[in-house]
Amino acid sequence: MPEPVGITSLPDQRYKIVSKEGATFTIMVAGESGLGKTTFINTLFQTSLKPHQDPTERHNKFQSAQETVEIGIVRAILEEKNFKIRLNIIDTPGFGNNVNNNDSWTPIIDFIDDQHESYMKQERQPLRTNKKDLRVHACLYFIRPTGHSLKPLDIEIMQRLSTRVNLIPVIAKADTLSPAELDTFKTRIREIIEAQDINIYTPPLELDDPASAEHAKQLIESMPFAIIGAEEEIEISPGKFSRGRKYPWGVVEVENDEHCDFKKLRSLLLRTNMLDLVLSTNEIHFENFRSTKLGADEEENEDELKEELTNEKGEVVKKPSITKKPRRLHNPKFKEEEDQLKKFFTEQVKAEEQRFRQWETNIINERNRLNQDLEEMQLKLKNLEEQIKKLQLAKR
Amino acid sequence: MTSVEPEKQPAIQMPSSVKSPITYTPQDIKIIKKVLNGYVGFANLPKQWHRKSVRRGFTFNIMAIGESGLGKATLINTLFNREIVNHRDDEETVEEDTEDKEGGVAVKIRSTKAEIEEDGVKLKVSVITAPGFGESINNTDYWKPIVDEINSRFDSYLEAECKINRSTIVDDRIHAFLYFIEPTGHSLRALDIAMMKLVHEKVNLIPIIAKSDTLTDDEIVEFKQRILADIAHQGIKIFTPEAPGDDDEETVSNTQSIIDTFPFAVVGSTKEVQTPDGRTVRGRQYPWGVIEVDNEAHNDFVKLRQLLIRNFLEELKEHTANVLYENYRTEKLKKMGIEQDSTVFREFDPLAKQQEERALHEAKLAKMEAEMKSVFQQKVSEKEKKLQRSEADLFARHKEMKDKLTKQIKILEEKKVQLEKQRSLPQEPMVQPAQQKTRKGFLR
Repeated sequence: MPEPVGITSLPDQRYKIVSKEGATFTIMVAGESGLGKTTFINTLFQTSLKPHQDPTERHNKFQSAQETVEIGIVRAILEEKNFKIRLNIIDTPGFGNNVNNNDSWTPIIDFIDDQHESYMKQERQPLRTNKKDLRVHACLYFIRPTGHSLKPLDIEIMQRLSTRVNLIPVIAKADTLSPAELDTFKTRIREIIEAQDINIYTPPLELDDPASAEHAKQLIESMPFAIIGAEEEIEISPGKFSRGRKYPWGVVEVENDEHCDFKKLRSLLLRTNMLDLVLSTNEIHFENFRSTKLGADEEENEDELKEELTNEKGEVVKKPSITKKPRRLHNPKFKEEEDQLKKFFTEQVKAEEQRFRQWETNIINERNRLNQDLEEMQLKLKNLEEQIKKLQLAKR
Repeated sequence: MTSVEPEKQPAIQMPSSVKSPITYTPQDIKIIKKVLNGYVGFANLPKQWHRKSVRRGFTFNIMAIGESGLGKATLINTLFNREIVNHRDDEETVEEDTEDKEGGVAVKIRSTKAEIEEDGVKLKVSVITAPGFGESINNTDYWKPIVDEINSRFDSYLEAECKINRSTIVDDRIHAFLYFIEPTGHSLRALDIAMMKLVHEKVNLIPIIAKSDTLTDDEIVEFKQRILADIAHQGIKIFTPEAPGDDDEETVSNTQSIIDTFPFAVVGSTKEVQTPDGRTVRGRQYPWGVIEVDNEAHNDFVKLRQLLIRNFLEELKEHTANVLYENYRTEKLKKMGIEQDSTVFREFDPLAKQQEERALHEAKLAKMEAEMKSVFQQKVSEKEKKLQRSEADLFARHKEMKDKLTKQIKILEEKKVQLEKQRSLPQEPMVQPAQQKTRKGFLR
């Protein structure tokens, strides 16, 4: 019996390193307001992380009736069984509240891109041990439980999100749909997602591991997850408490697979697929962003003179060029202000034009008056001539 | 006269709602800290890593340096329990290698790879050796190919990491550097010190006393002390695993005992021998007894294997990637003239960002306003000038005409006065009209 080398301990070594290091995890919640995004986050982590936005507060936010989509970040360090995660919750309140929601997704998309870009810039620095990483590992998109279909706005946003992050669509407040309605709704959403080429996150099917593959299959089949959030514990049977919502006709339990898909979603987000979400963000979404960005930069710089430097061995190494592009600003308020400014000038121009027209009319009137004046004089002249003529004739 | 006086330039006033900037005071980043009682499930992440690491497999690059005849190949083969490095290869190289100009033997870098699998865990191990090291009379330049090899492996990783597509990045960096010390029983030689000093900041240096079966226990203890004293005196850093207090007691004491054994005095052997009490062990048989490789009472092989493979292989890799490589890279980029931009490490603050964007927007708006205002004012003033000109023209023309007419009227009036005067005087015969007629006819 040969002595084993002992490499079976390697996964345990990895386990220990990760346990010691902890992890960083960033979740984004997007969707219209009032769909229980805040409640869901607090339910998921069994603690009150995000304060609910006071609906009365929504009015005195920057005077304007048109609410802007503001990104909110909640940072937390949570510890469970001696394992620590640095958790970032990215919230997008007020989303879809406006009458005109064109471009209302740009701040969300920009946030995701900005984080990738920021990480890229940090990674390039000579000293880079303290990188700040807010790259979104999972984006939960809350769908209103209409029972009908996805809205065009939902489709537009999901299409944009799905090329950038691990997109996980969820049906919010699913306790308003009966199981049959939910089934139809899910099927319809899946069809639209397929037809619109929306690339949602699916857990990998590891076929060589039947138990894990079966679990992944169950998760995939339940998508989009129908969820219910509840922060309160309800007594469901004497002495037995569970988080849920109490109605006169019964109690909806959050952690009951018969009632909703909360447990499945939690498994996907944390218990079984958290690492896959983190790694795929880093290895797929971030790398895609980076290669596209570098590819674009390279093309741009092709005609420009490339700065060359030689290292100590005499090899020519390219110095990474630092190109600063003007920032694009997508805040709808800004656009509005620009329009207002333009409008203001248009009005000024109109007023001036009016003034000039009046002036021109005045000139014409004046000319007429003067012409009349001249005519009078001419008449006088004519009269005089006549008189002279008469006088001359009379003289003869 | 009702002429229109040109007004003054209209003062352009922005609507107040556009002008007032929204100011924020950047807040300190708030972090909620909580220890959860219930089971949420993120504590499963290390388990997920465990699974993932098995799926992905492991790699390990180890460099073994030392004079020939110190049993490098044997030790590596003993560690991985298979023939990875071929003995004959090692020796042949030394013999065959072309002699350089000074008559020494050139140091060559050799790399051999092997794949090991135990219970579904796979390890791709790469062993890098430098046959010919320390063979020459003058050894001053013999460290160079070794240092170059370490550097070039860092360089190729750095290059790969800067590429647009880096999905195929391979980690060829040296994760552990075994330095074989000759069991002289004295102390470190100048060559040993020179070599270790050149690499100790680039690799995880693990010095080992080779063929320790030629030293008695007392000699080993003394030799180890002298080596450690030399290492400390020369400021040479050797890889030391961390033993954090939050680990369980057994792990902590085990790690401490590994550290206490430094530098490992080892014996390698892939051969199985019979012990007097009938056991079959890996070891070396002497007339005076059997030295067992895997016996901690006989030598430190077990401790070395713990450090290199069983307990700290991943730690060696982490340290290479996070500390050694990072330091190398920082130095290299700075030498290339790439300046550090610390502003990119700011904590993302949506309010600050909004404020920044607002400032940019205001600047843009102000520029737009200035441009529009200037165009507007220019157009207005052009038009005003034009109108003023036509107005002036009109008056001038009128005045000219009027003057002309006034003059004519005056002449005629004078003429009339004259005629009337003449009329009152006695009549004289008119001759002129006749004259005019003839003149007219003549002209025609």
